[in-house]
Amino acid sequence: MTPKIKTIRWHIPLLLLPAVIIYSAIMIFPLLATLNLSFFNVEEGKQVFVGIANYIVLFGNEIYSEKFWNALGNNAYFFMIHMLVQNPLGIILAAMLSSKKLRFTAFYRTAIFIPAILSFVIVGFVWKLILSPLWGIAPDLLDMIGLKSLFLPWLGKEAYALTTISLISVWQYIGIPMMLIYAALLSIPEEVVEAAECDGITGSSLFWKIKLPLILPSIGIISILTFVGNFNAFDLIYATQGALGGPGFTTDILGTLLYRTFFGFQLQLGDLYAGSTLATVMFFIILAGVCGYLFGVQNRLRRYQF
Amino acid sequence: MGTLKLKNISKSFGNVEVLRDISLEVADGEFVIFVGPSGCGKSTLLRIIAGLEDATKGEVIIDGQMVNHLGAADRGISMVFQSYALYPHMTVEANMGLGLKQAKTPKAEIKARVTKAANMLELTPLLNRRPAELSGGQRQRVAIGRSIVREPKIFLFDEPLSNLDAALRVNTRIEIANLHNSLNSSMIYVTHDQVEAMTLADKIVVLHDGKIEQIGHPIELYNHPCNMFVAGFIGSPKMNFFDADKLDVKNAITVGVRPEHIKIDAKQGDYECEITYVEHLGSDSNLYLTHPKLGAFTVRVFGQVAYARGETLHASLLKESMHKFDEHENVITDI
Ligand SMILES: Nc1ncnc2c1ncn2[C@@H]1O[C@H](COP(=O)(O)OP(=O)(O)OP(=O)(O)O)[C@@H](O)[C@H]1O
Ligand SMILES: [Mg+2]
Repeated sequence: MTPKIKTIRWHIPLLLLPAVIIYSAIMIFPLLATLNLSFFNVEEGKQVFVGIANYIVLFGNEIYSEKFWNALGNNAYFFMIHMLVQNPLGIILAAMLSSKKLRFTAFYRTAIFIPAILSFVIVGFVWKLILSPLWGIAPDLLDMIGLKSLFLPWLGKEAYALTTISLISVWQYIGIPMMLIYAALLSIPEEVVEAAECDGITGSSLFWKIKLPLILPSIGIISILTFVGNFNAFDLIYATQGALGGPGFTTDILGTLLYRTFFGFQLQLGDLYAGSTLATVMFFIILAGVCGYLFGVQNRLRRYQF
Repeated sequence: MGTLKLKNISKSFGNVEVLRDISLEVADGEFVIFVGPSGCGKSTLLRIIAGLEDATKGEVIIDGQMVNHLGAADRGISMVFQSYALYPHMTVEANMGLGLKQAKTPKAEIKARVTKAANMLELTPLLNRRPAELSGGQRQRVAIGRSIVREPKIFLFDEPLSNLDAALRVNTRIEIANLHNSLNSSMIYVTHDQVEAMTLADKIVVLHDGKIEQIGHPIELYNHPCNMFVAGFIGSPKMNFFDADKLDVKNAITVGVRPEHIKIDAKQGDYECEITYVEHLGSDSNLYLTHPKLGAFTVRVFGQVAYARGETLHASLLKESMHKFDEHENVITDI
């Protein structure tokens, strides 16, 4: 038997150190500081530890909790629209792009992807202009096909604003699921598709029986990316509807609520402690979603080697 | 029944002509092998037969019926791919049964056919596994099973053994030969491998640059190659080619002699040569010789030899097994 000599392999922590330092400085530390801050409040000009009092206010105080649940509900709806529209549409577009019969694929691919690299300010502003009842082109376009009666100021109506905003966001980001699925579809070997062809599986059954099962892992990844992206969303709503999530808070989501709470808006004063509390809650909502996905869904999706 | 007839098949990809005027007949139950150097169009021809690729010109006729317009699934063929091409998300059983399921075959019959094929290929214990949980040889057997289950008129194989290691290749080769015996269906098989071609085929089709060079029984191709390409391609080590005038042979430009048709002797012979290299294979040995006038050539002798590099040796070419070729590299048959 050879004696076991335990040597500490110093090079491992040493090499990890730079990454750990940078990651801690810009991720871990602010996160912990925010967490920590949510347990404090100001009393008589001094910062004091208040335990979970901030959380009790957030969920117990009607003024706060009503806003919070409203934003959470809107956010869930926002996410749902993305899951129901953006991702299925992305898959369909990718399937069409990967079809060998389609020409100009490079053009379509780029055209569909471009909005994703545009600034949300531009996207928000452009759509505000398009949909504006006064000088937008949407009413005119509808007029041209005789459907002017269908036009409504979608962004201004409480009943439609959130759906409209969600669809604008879908328009902007659809290129991302499309690209991911497109890459996954391209990675399916040609011979597997040809074997299916020999088995009489072509057209739509080729998609449902062979391709879709093989791209499920990518669809899982897209879902979780959408979830995280949507629950962190802020910019598009801020650019289009303002920080109040108008009209009447119908487009208020967690991001805009957090912005107002933290930094204040108009008459509302910024509150560091309430903001931290809300940020912490958001963090745990997203964490719960991601963990649920990782442990519940990811395990069941197989990655296939070809 | 499973007869195939190719009539003047040509295929171009853009400006590149890959196949030129290929005509060929495969009788029912025949085992036909396509051989040829890499890039000569073997796979393309097979894919045209399968219906995965359209011919630019010509007709594919299966069982007397023109099938150019039919899709792969309706031609009554099945194909085994080099990379197995199993469906990774399905069990072995589902992999084998998918084609039948798609054709709306009754469940009981699918089950029966899959069970039969699995028994034949000893896949029964693996039926519930997925392709990722199988070895390369097992995967290839599943791929073969998948094509058996469909009971095709013609089996197509595109280099099915090239991803397997040597020992497994021999086993699977024998399995395919047995399969051909028991199923009695026509098979078309593409390979690079000399041994596979010689051992399995009823008929070898030698392709070169998109053209058929020669069609024939393996032994016929070996004994009577119709041109220098086939002569050099069939047989290993390669046939030796000499300038006819150096050997004082009349009425020919080139003379070919197979390595096994050269006699060597330590003391006497027609040409005194130097040994440049010796390959000891155990059962036989390959000697690489050079002669000042003839140049370098190869000799194959049965059994083991005690010669070493640098020694001199006398070689004699067997006159009766010489192949003579004209200026177009075609064989000259003595009248
Ligand atoms: N889709 C394609 N587009 C353009 N050229 C192609 C295409 N498929 C094959 N070729 C060309 O056709 C020729 C024949 O290809 P093929 O795959 O039939 O060769 P092969 O005889 O099977 O070779 P190997 O033994 O290496 O498999 C090659 O020169 C190849 O470059
Ligand atoms: Mg090939």
